[in-house]
Amino acid sequence: MNLRSLVWKELRERPWSVVSSSMAILLGVAALVAIRHVTVHSEQEVSRQLSSLGANILILPKEASLQNYYAADRNGQTLPEEHVTEVLMAGLAGVEKVTPKLSMPASLGGLEVTLTGILPQSEFTAQQAWQTAALFTPRKHEGCKKASHEPSEADKTPESLNTTRSIENLEKNQIVLGADVAERSAFSDGDTVELLGGTFTVLGTLSRTGTVDDSRVFAHLHTVQELAKSGEVVSAIEVIGCCEDAAGDLVPELSKLLPDARVVTVSQVVQTQVGVNRLMSGTSWFVLGTLILVGGASLASAIAANVRERRREIGTLMAIGATPGFVQRLFLMKALVLGLVAGTIGCVIGLLTAVLIGPQWAGVAVLPLPGLAVMAVGAATLLAVMAAYWPARQAAKLDPCLCFQEV
Amino acid sequence: MIRLENVKRIYTRHGQTVTALQCENLCISAGEYVAVIGPSGSGKSTLLSLLGGMLSPSSGRVWLDETSIYEQSVVARSTIRRERMGFVFQTFNLIPYLTALENVQVPLGLNGVSLPDQTARATAMLQRFGLADRLNHKPSEMSVGQQQRVALARTLVNDPQIILADEPTGNLDPTSREVVLKAFDMCHEEGRTIITVTHDATAAARAKRRLVLNEGQISEELSSFAKVA
Ligand SMILES: Nc1ncnc2c1ncn2[C@@H]1O[C@H](COP(=O)(O)OP(=O)(O)OP(=O)(O)O)[C@@H](O)[C@H]1O
Ligand SMILES: [Mg+2]
Repeated sequence: MNLRSLVWKELRERPWSVVSSSMAILLGVAALVAIRHVTVHSEQEVSRQLSSLGANILILPKEASLQNYYAADRNGQTLPEEHVTEVLMAGLAGVEKVTPKLSMPASLGGLEVTLTGILPQSEFTAQQAWQTAALFTPRKHEGCKKASHEPSEADKTPESLNTTRSIENLEKNQIVLGADVAERSAFSDGDTVELLGGTFTVLGTLSRTGTVDDSRVFAHLHTVQELAKSGEVVSAIEVIGCCEDAAGDLVPELSKLLPDARVVTVSQVVQTQVGVNRLMSGTSWFVLGTLILVGGASLASAIAANVRERRREIGTLMAIGATPGFVQRLFLMKALVLGLVAGTIGCVIGLLTAVLIGPQWAGVAVLPLPGLAVMAVGAATLLAVMAAYWPARQAAKLDPCLCFQEV
Repeated sequence: MIRLENVKRIYTRHGQTVTALQCENLCISAGEYVAVIGPSGSGKSTLLSLLGGMLSPSSGRVWLDETSIYEQSVVARSTIRRERMGFVFQTFNLIPYLTALENVQVPLGLNGVSLPDQTARATAMLQRFGLADRLNHKPSEMSVGQQQRVALARTLVNDPQIILADEPTGNLDPTSREVVLKAFDMCHEEGRTIITVTHDATAAARAKRRLVLNEGQISEELSSFAKVA
């Protein structure tokens, strides 16, 4: 029998009082961990979008809503495909690639997916008109980072859909599967699949991005248009600008060129996400404050009640020879265990919540952040011990003569 | 040897002062078996608390051998209790969430005895009190007599030189009471000092010396009482 087993046996004797005294801390940690996880990932997502898609521009139907750059083409509205030609013919400065997309829901062997028709880059170079247009393209700005029109080796693999949001070659009967789709449908390279009434061969699968792209199936734009009988329309045209300066002038110029469309930049799209982040960040501080107040107070009062209830036991322990320090540690250790357990369970619940609902809630994939988790558990434990400090001191000051008093 | 030197204990409550105990000189030698008798409120528990190092006197000194215990730190007094004293209570004061074995292990644990030794010594002590088949019972699962035997085992497991008992037989039936008194007899034979507070004349008669407390004043009882009993 030592301090640790005394604490442990007393805790085991009253599991419900354990649960009730540490519930506030548990819930507080869960909420905090969930919110912080989503916020951190959402912020990372914003900066990732800004840095990787900095110069990218979306041409969308007027009515399209803006939530997430990656999901902007899933809006149900369409634009005429001619706009693609118009953009290329206009020979605007800073246009690197133009990628039209047509997206619609579809079913792949019972699995709900987003079918995205995309025009491979090779088709632009093949068409004489666009070739000519390219000749009229004014010289590029000095200092452009993405210099070359020449497709690199990496651009020729399907993975380029993830890295440059375009693909060099895609046959009319080929598809590329997003990571989620590949995993859940169990189709892999070379398999033949039925989709929207057409037959396709799987050209490749993409690695996980944590965006809605994971649940997409990419096919040739014109095949999708034929199968869906949609006519020559697209849901979005992504213009990949060559550098950020170009993006600045490009937007007004494109707007002028296509008055019936909505032209937006990444930074405009991420504005919504930044707003969400700010709200979440504010909320997490509010939750933290509440956690400290409510969690700390409820634990402190539970420990104080526990001390009152165990007065005779404390007196007896002191008569047997326990020092006041031992008695104080008895309650501090109990609080430490409560804080650690409530913090750990709360952290796991918060993490699961964030991982499960993060993608729907904030449109980002959430991965566990070990540092944050450890800090949350540590903070909960520290809070519990601090809350118990005063009642534990009161226990240590109790009069051992209590042991002679009748019940 | 325990000695009270000009000890006075005063309680102040609601502006009224109560002299719970007053004693110019009381000496209890090592190995003595002393019963303290007296009416309720006469200061018996106050005396035990003073002797046990748990209640500072308002004035005077309490000596344990060459040490004035209230001139020591609280921790030092805890150590004295842990190493040299054992307490027996009227209401047993077992820890409700621990089994009989664990209750008896507590004082050993406080003295830093290793767990295997704790188990061995506590088991042996409980066997001595006929509780070999109750090791894993909680106090609530035992009879009153069994609880007091567990409490006695807990008191004696640390091999204390001084046993301080407050009404140890107050709640017991005659058979259980006899178990307690036998244990005290044995402790006396082993040379331990026993100071027991009791209302029970038969219990008091077993002691070799009786002190009478009356309104905080201590006096020796006439030794003729012993012969009568
Ligand atoms: N904490 C206290 N505060 C105020 N007065 C106290 C306190 N403890 C004891 N007293 C008073 O001191 C006197 C002696 O009390 P004590 O408990 O020593 O009596 P006792 O002889 O043990 O009585 P009993 O046989 O009922 O246990 C009583 O008058 C009591 O009211
Ligand atoms: Mg009393």
